[in-house]
Amino acid sequence: MNAWLRLSRSWRAYSSLATRSMQNTLAYRLSYVVNFASSFVLLIAMYALWNAIYAGREELAGMSWAQMKTYLIISFISNSLLSYYSETRISGKILDGSVSADLLKPLDFQKARLAETLGSTVIEGGLTVIITATVLAAASGIFKPDFIHSLLFILSVLASLLVKFGIVYIAGLLCFWSTGSLGIVWARMAVTSLFSGALVPLSFFPSWLEKLSLVLPFQGIVHTPASIYLEEVNVWGALGLLALQCAWVCVLWLCGKLMWSWAVRQITIHGG
Amino acid sequence: MSILRSTRRTLFLYRRLFSTQLKAILEYQTDFFIMIISAVLTQLLGIVFLWVVYNRIPDINGWTFWEVVFMYAMIYLTEGFGSLFFEGTWRLGGLVNRGELDVMLLRPVSPILQVLANGIGMNGIGNIVIGFIMIGQALTKVDLHWSFGKLVIAILLIITAVAIRVSINLAANTSAFWIKNAGNAFPIMIHNLGEFAKYPITIFSMGIQLLVAVLVPFAFVSFFPAYYLFDKSTSPWIWLAPPVAAIYCGAVAYLLFRIGLRKYESAGN
Repeated sequence: MNAWLRLSRSWRAYSSLATRSMQNTLAYRLSYVVNFASSFVLLIAMYALWNAIYAGREELAGMSWAQMKTYLIISFISNSLLSYYSETRISGKILDGSVSADLLKPLDFQKARLAETLGSTVIEGGLTVIITATVLAAASGIFKPDFIHSLLFILSVLASLLVKFGIVYIAGLLCFWSTGSLGIVWARMAVTSLFSGALVPLSFFPSWLEKLSLVLPFQGIVHTPASIYLEEVNVWGALGLLALQCAWVCVLWLCGKLMWSWAVRQITIHGG
Repeated sequence: MSILRSTRRTLFLYRRLFSTQLKAILEYQTDFFIMIISAVLTQLLGIVFLWVVYNRIPDINGWTFWEVVFMYAMIYLTEGFGSLFFEGTWRLGGLVNRGELDVMLLRPVSPILQVLANGIGMNGIGNIVIGFIMIGQALTKVDLHWSFGKLVIAILLIITAVAIRVSINLAANTSAFWIKNAGNAFPIMIHNLGEFAKYPITIFSMGIQLLVAVLVPFAFVSFFPAYYLFDKSTSPWIWLAPPVAAIYCGAVAYLLFRIGLRKYESAGN
């Protein structure tokens, strides 16, 4: 009985954090729109570029132009589920010292950050999905998977969000050792973009680089959802990929937990 | 005579403002190295992309690997100069929102100069080094007929590219005078338009071409210099276009700053 009470109480605390972060996102809706527009610019640039690359060619690295178009949109969706703001919030807390206030709260730091991230994702990610789904439905020559694959795709997008959170969290904690965050954020973005398949589909890589990417957790962010959506794997293969994503979610979560208990001892707070 | 003296005074003041900022930054050494390394990583990413794609195809719309690398490098290099020497443009929004621009307006020194010198982005060093290496590689790997005149023009084109880039940054950031929102993403959006100029703009639709060639003329940072240097144009006078664009951008940025400043009303308390 007591355990239940505690569980429901902590659930309430975390869900209120999530709601707070949702409201926060709504309050800054203009900045979301501008952010969305600016990443959309990149999508258009990539689209036109790939169109020129595919001019006069049937397929490259085993992908047709129709598949490539679809791939670009999928990778756009996976990347915009977490906005730049969510990605920098954790490191921001550590750098400006407001993490000290979190230490006083009877909440688990990692779970609280996850709750906040999920809260703003409901708004930002939800909007992105609605907008891009409309574009997808209207655009011609875009690949549409069958029902089972669509379902598995949605699950893998959710898992991809958790993988990304794990990576963002660990990179955010690194800021305990440095004094500026922007560098770490950029480095993380560069590495993630390369190994997740956001830069270019992994099948375009030379085989050693492709193999390397497949053993790293980053592939779960773009490569996995995209291969499921494009039906490059059958149902069992897709389930295997999903299991791998979930395994990475757990590993990253545990790494984050370990790192937190170690990092918290590094804390230096300005002023006295 | 007085123009000479005022230029010298401006340069002197800029140097003083810059070195104060530098001292502040060198306090945090780890951060300094992390910034440089991450900037290099980000740039290499773009090259990896081109390398992977060109491994599969010989050219994009008639443009070869090194020619596109040159355009990439021009965008990186100018970004580097912008961060290292004129990072202050990006902080204009913060200054306006917190009302800190007041301090600058009280000093008997041009506010634009103070804004420009109000910060240093150490990541710029990484951009500049890698940018120059890539430009050097690209210009030697492609078979070009060099002459003294062409060399001088190449240097001029790099200088005007930096001027265009910094002017666009400043102009975009003056939006802070009108959009009073702490997380003003408008400048970032303009900055992102630079992505289009990393590739031959002829692959884009007419609307986008007009956007990056006329409205926000990033094309004069990378595309037109490449067009001239790689002898893609039949007109020998095409090199005159970037300097003209630089003057246009500088004038627009200056005007926007002046108009914005008149709207500035500090932060109440």
